[in-house]
Amino acid sequence: MLSLNGVTHVYPNGTRALDDINLVIPKGMFGLLGPNGAGKSTLMRSVATLQTPTSGMMSFDGINIEAEPEKIRARLGYLPQDFGVYPRVTAYDLLDHMAVLKGIATKSERRDTVETLLAQVNLWEVRKKAIAGFSGGMRQRFGIAQALIGNPDLIITDEPTAGLDPEERNRFLNLLAEIGENVVVILSTHIVEDVADLCPRMAVIVAGQVQLEGAPDDLIAASKGSIWEKTIARAQMSDYAEQFNIISSRLQAGRSVIHIMSDSDPGSGFVSVDGGLEDVYFTTLAKTREEAATSAINE
Amino acid sequence: MFGSIFRFELFYQLRNPVFIVTALIFFLLTFGAVTLEDIQIGSGGNIHVNSPYAIAQTVLIMSLFYMFATTAFVANVVVRDDESGFGPMVRSTRVSKFDYLLGRFTGAFVAALAGFASVPLAMLIGSQMPWLDQETLGPTALGHYVHAFFVFGAPNVLITSAIFFAVACVARSMMLSYVGVVVFLVLYFLLTGLAGSQPEYRDTIALFEPFGLGAFSDVTRYWSAEESNNLVAAFEGSVAYNRGLVLMLSMLAFSVAFWRYSFSEKGMSARQLKKDANREKKEALVAPNVVSRLPVPNQAASASARLLARTRLETGMIFKSPAFFVLILLGLTNSGGALWFANELYGTPSVPMTFALILPLLGSFGIIPIIIAIYFAGELVWRDRERGMNELIDSTALPNWAYFIPKVIAVSAVLIVTLFIASLAAIFVQLLRGYVDLELHKYFFWFILPFAVDMLMIAILAVFLQSLSSSKYVGWGLMAIYLVASITLVSIGFEHPLYNFGETGFVRVSDMNGTDVGGAKSWWLRLYWSGVCLILSVLSYLFWRRGVGISIASQIRRFPSRFKGAPAGVAFAGLLVSATSGAWLFYQMNVISEYVTSDEVEERLADYEKSFLQYEGVGQPSITSVELNVDLFPADDKAYFEGTYQLINDTGAPVNELHVVFQDGYSELVNIDIPSATLTLDEGEDYGYQIFALEQPMLPGEEMTVTFQSERIKKALRTSDEDSRLVKNGIFLNNSEFAPQFGFDRSVLLQDRATRRKYDLPAELRMPKLEDEAARERNYVGNVDWVMSDITVTTSADQTPVAPGKVVSDRIEGDRRVVRFQSTNPILGFFSIQSADYSATSRQHDGIELEIYHHPTHAFNAERMLDAMAVSLDYFQKNFGPYQFDHARIIEFPGYASFAQAFAGTVPYSERIGFIANAADGNDIDYVTYVTAHEYGHQYWAHQLISAYMQGGTMLVETMAQYSALMVMKQMYGEEQIRRFLKYELDAYLSARGGEVIEELPLYRVENQGYIHYRKGAVVMYLLQDRLGEDRVNRMLAALLEQYRFKGQPYATTIDLVAGFKQLARDDSERRLVADLLEEITLYDFSVVDATVRPLPEGGFETTFIASVKKMYADGEGAEQDAEFNNLVDVGAFTKRPDYDVLEPEDVLLFEMRPMKSGQQSIVIVTAEKPLFIGIDPYSKFVDRKGDDNIIEVSES
Repeated sequence: MLSLNGVTHVYPNGTRALDDINLVIPKGMFGLLGPNGAGKSTLMRSVATLQTPTSGMMSFDGINIEAEPEKIRARLGYLPQDFGVYPRVTAYDLLDHMAVLKGIATKSERRDTVETLLAQVNLWEVRKKAIAGFSGGMRQRFGIAQALIGNPDLIITDEPTAGLDPEERNRFLNLLAEIGENVVVILSTHIVEDVADLCPRMAVIVAGQVQLEGAPDDLIAASKGSIWEKTIARAQMSDYAEQFNIISSRLQAGRSVIHIMSDSDPGSGFVSVDGGLEDVYFTTLAKTREEAATSAINE
Repeated sequence: MFGSIFRFELFYQLRNPVFIVTALIFFLLTFGAVTLEDIQIGSGGNIHVNSPYAIAQTVLIMSLFYMFATTAFVANVVVRDDESGFGPMVRSTRVSKFDYLLGRFTGAFVAALAGFASVPLAMLIGSQMPWLDQETLGPTALGHYVHAFFVFGAPNVLITSAIFFAVACVARSMMLSYVGVVVFLVLYFLLTGLAGSQPEYRDTIALFEPFGLGAFSDVTRYWSAEESNNLVAAFEGSVAYNRGLVLMLSMLAFSVAFWRYSFSEKGMSARQLKKDANREKKEALVAPNVVSRLPVPNQAASASARLLARTRLETGMIFKSPAFFVLILLGLTNSGGALWFANELYGTPSVPMTFALILPLLGSFGIIPIIIAIYFAGELVWRDRERGMNELIDSTALPNWAYFIPKVIAVSAVLIVTLFIASLAAIFVQLLRGYVDLELHKYFFWFILPFAVDMLMIAILAVFLQSLSSSKYVGWGLMAIYLVASITLVSIGFEHPLYNFGETGFVRVSDMNGTDVGGAKSWWLRLYWSGVCLILSVLSYLFWRRGVGISIASQIRRFPSRFKGAPAGVAFAGLLVSATSGAWLFYQMNVISEYVTSDEVEERLADYEKSFLQYEGVGQPSITSVELNVDLFPADDKAYFEGTYQLINDTGAPVNELHVVFQDGYSELVNIDIPSATLTLDEGEDYGYQIFALEQPMLPGEEMTVTFQSERIKKALRTSDEDSRLVKNGIFLNNSEFAPQFGFDRSVLLQDRATRRKYDLPAELRMPKLEDEAARERNYVGNVDWVMSDITVTTSADQTPVAPGKVVSDRIEGDRRVVRFQSTNPILGFFSIQSADYSATSRQHDGIELEIYHHPTHAFNAERMLDAMAVSLDYFQKNFGPYQFDHARIIEFPGYASFAQAFAGTVPYSERIGFIANAADGNDIDYVTYVTAHEYGHQYWAHQLISAYMQGGTMLVETMAQYSALMVMKQMYGEEQIRRFLKYELDAYLSARGGEVIEELPLYRVENQGYIHYRKGAVVMYLLQDRLGEDRVNRMLAALLEQYRFKGQPYATTIDLVAGFKQLARDDSERRLVADLLEEITLYDFSVVDATVRPLPEGGFETTFIASVKKMYADGEGAEQDAEFNNLVDVGAFTKRPDYDVLEPEDVLLFEMRPMKSGQQSIVIVTAEKPLFIGIDPYSKFVDRKGDDNIIEVSES
């Protein structure tokens, strides 16, 4: 169990990237949803011992992360949002090297580790190719392979599905789901479906604060009856935007399908729909924006 | 279109930080060169800091380094769009390839040129700085800067721009472009280095060397200081030709760029595709070894696997890096030339013994390991962050030590490999020269091991600084500051090795004496600095920033809590090692020995001059006999001396006080016993000067006995150079190093003008004028008289002691060898004491025992030396008079210096010259014989006739020894070898003239100026004997020797010698020649134009040519004035060009003297065979700056 208590991080330039984060993350997949720049990566790096937050307390299974980073690292699998590789090194060799770094001491154990993982992430055929020449998806799969070395109990993945094609994304999520039953897996993402498909628990983080936390199903249930949909012409968009609080819009056959939030029937031909996680997320974002705007006016 | 692309590129480049940074760097470099005394390019001596010569030279040198900046500009043009992904967009527009390339190239070139303008600008501003010594400055002339910039700077920037633009267009990578730069530089240094060492290629280099350095030095080679200060290397002749060629080459390079640059990208070749397909097929057959449960980590067990994996990775990174190979290649090519030409003298190679190759190897290769250590420390520390892999790695359970330690191991491993490669290069040269006694252990213990440790320490410092720095560049910058500081700190007086990081002193290796001098000190210092390195390593480990956004400040805050356990233990161990070894070294260097900086030494010498120069004229009695007992203990670095002097007052006046001088810093005067005298001034401690007042004045003719005891004991290590005279094997001491002398002596005083001015001394202390009769009281060697000597030397039984005199007894007493040497006639009271484990090769020759004492493995030239001694003594006895000894000894000493020196009957000879010369090729100049003959010439010219300490004094000693040696060489090898030898001497004389600091003097007034009394002296004497007759000259010289043989004051002067030559002159033209050669500084310019040949009807060939003759007198600064020439000159006709190659007798068809006058004249000669070359003064017997135009190829009429 990973628990975060009042974790706050302020960068030297004054940016408050994390603002009093309190979360308890149990075993299983945990989705951390938030727009770009919300502080997700800062939080992930802090948990992964790469950054020391300005204040607050983080612990995993009773181990203080800041005080004993070595112990955390020994149990950690981390897939950063973005990583590079050494030039001219093959996938096999680099994974083998990472296995050494993670403490797989013997050659035969490393062979088991490397070959199993390469097969698992479907990189076996290209094992003798330089990773530097891999596509984004292949590289991401390598990333997850290295994160899984040594059966970590804390797996942190930061934007793992960015840049993956749908098939790759599916394969990747399946892999995570398989592992995620017995260990803590944090899936930090700005893509709602990733969380919706996989995570029994989630949190939404915006502007460094946790805005929403719970099980996706509960959150969706709570939003029932407050989401309304209407299909309009694209040209009407601006009129509706003035009148209603649009939380999302998408295009369908050349026309816009808009969702608004309202506790009562807004009229104008809107029909109530069963909101998905996406609506919950966008509602949260919209609320946060509103609050920010109000507080800015009040100041 | 071109215009807008050009403007865009130019402004883009000018706004680029690269522009500002390079302009700044080059400004600072140049500014430093102009304003700091320690760095000088082109100036020095009487050549002004802002002379047109120094400006052009600086611009040229800087333009060579600027290549790296130029490449950044032009390669950026090509690579930028590809890297930014903007390329395809640009190339799909309608811009034509030509406009695109030319516009961008021109923009980048102009930007590079603008950056290079910082060089002349920095010189201009630097030369205005108030702290510069005004005497080193000339008037400011803007034209000189403009000229240098446009004639030398701009074309060089253009050609490098064009070449590396072409390289970048082909390579499409910044890294490969830089590899191109290095390859280019390697080739450049290789070719110019090889060709530059051979004077005969100078013309070719002048035309084709692409940076104009060759052309510039071709024009300015023999410039006097005055010419250097006033003339610019005009845009004409080889300069114009070379610059034009550079322009054409630039255009050619741009055409290549245009031709090779392609707008579209290339795919893979079909062959590569097929190869890949095959490989994939094979790989597909292998199935993965899948396990159901992944193995779990075992942190404790993986330490060695981690160390190995990280070290292998880090090492591989360096070994696979192109930069590593380029650096090695650069080092190898640079050292290749140095090794091949190591210890070469007069074009004669040396036996490539291992000890003799290590020094050139260090000089030429030494910088490479330093660069590797610094460069790769930065690369390794920052690699993970630069590659974006740091988050992956830092979040693993890799322990912190596994960051630092493998990097240091990797850098060390690479350095050791590098040093092995350098050794292999030297071994390769040895084998190529056919030398197989490789002595590998010497490479290991004298080169690889000590330098690996030194380089490792630099690597640790570099990694430490990188770990503190906010970026790789900051770390490199800090290392650059360290390197500069380590040089400048020493030069401004902070010389103590205990605070100059990594300072281990300089160990001069010797076959005779190993690493005895400086070796122990260097290992003590290595121990001391290893302790410091341990501390740095711990700090580096604790400050290591793992993760992201961690500031060094936060690491320092966390330091106290992390400083415990093993790291603290290691740091304390380091502290213990450094503190104890440092304390011991401090005790040795500062408490037992005295720590004196070179500034303090200078100051002391200045004070000495100020206080004691007043006593220079004080008359002192002469020594008539010396009895010495010398006890040498080589193994213990100890020597004890006891001496008895017999003095006589030969001053003609009463002597009231004795001035005792004993100034050697390594020896101590324990006691001096002067009867009935009181010590009235005791500055023995600081200045080695004591004055004793005699109770009864010593009357003229009165005699006195003085006894003394002194000792020389190496008590402790010193910060400065260790004693290289009293050593374990190869002691070489002369009496001024252990015995007191009487009277003030100038030889130790400060020489350098700037230094002298710094201490408020007159800029120069000139010799007494030739007309100063009083100066004839003292001779050239100093306060040294003709004495009878009785020297007993004892040393350890395994060594052979040698001192001047006849051996009257030689026995072993216990473990001591005792040899007594007695003089049989007066000798100069200036003698050497030597002792080493020698082998001797000897020969009886006409009642003279010829002996060579040499290191057992250095017997290569012993027979040659014996031959040279035999021929020399025969010639000298026949022509100059009797040889005064029944023995002649040459004794090798360790190569801490490279000279041979003549003492009475004995000649100490350095192991670095002569003993290892390889004169086996009969066509090479046999300088072993030459040097031997020169030193035995001194047995007459110095040890029979000694000149007064005044103008011209060295001519009677050194020029005459040169002449003696030339005559021996002429007898042994004929005129042909002399001709080639004199070419070297003439070149050395002409090249050195410009560097004269005080003033050039005519030969007969030479003031101990080596380039005059050795170099010009040889040329002049050869011409004189050629014109006046060898026998006649020798008879005159024999008479002069007869007059002064073993005579005390007044000593001989050149007035007698000049008079002698004038008497030999038979007519006006000979008298004129004697005067011109001896009493004037005369330069000649002979040349031939328009030589045509026609067959004569009666048989034979008639050649007609125009001879042009000029004669000039130069003053002391080099200003010239035309003079009338009317004299005989050699005319020659050849079938082969007489240059540095051997000329066979049949190549010479005609050689005779013809009268010639100033101006042009037509000359007709008739030969039996058809000449291919004709020339006037073809053997360059006259001082002619352009010997090449003396000879011309004959054309058919």
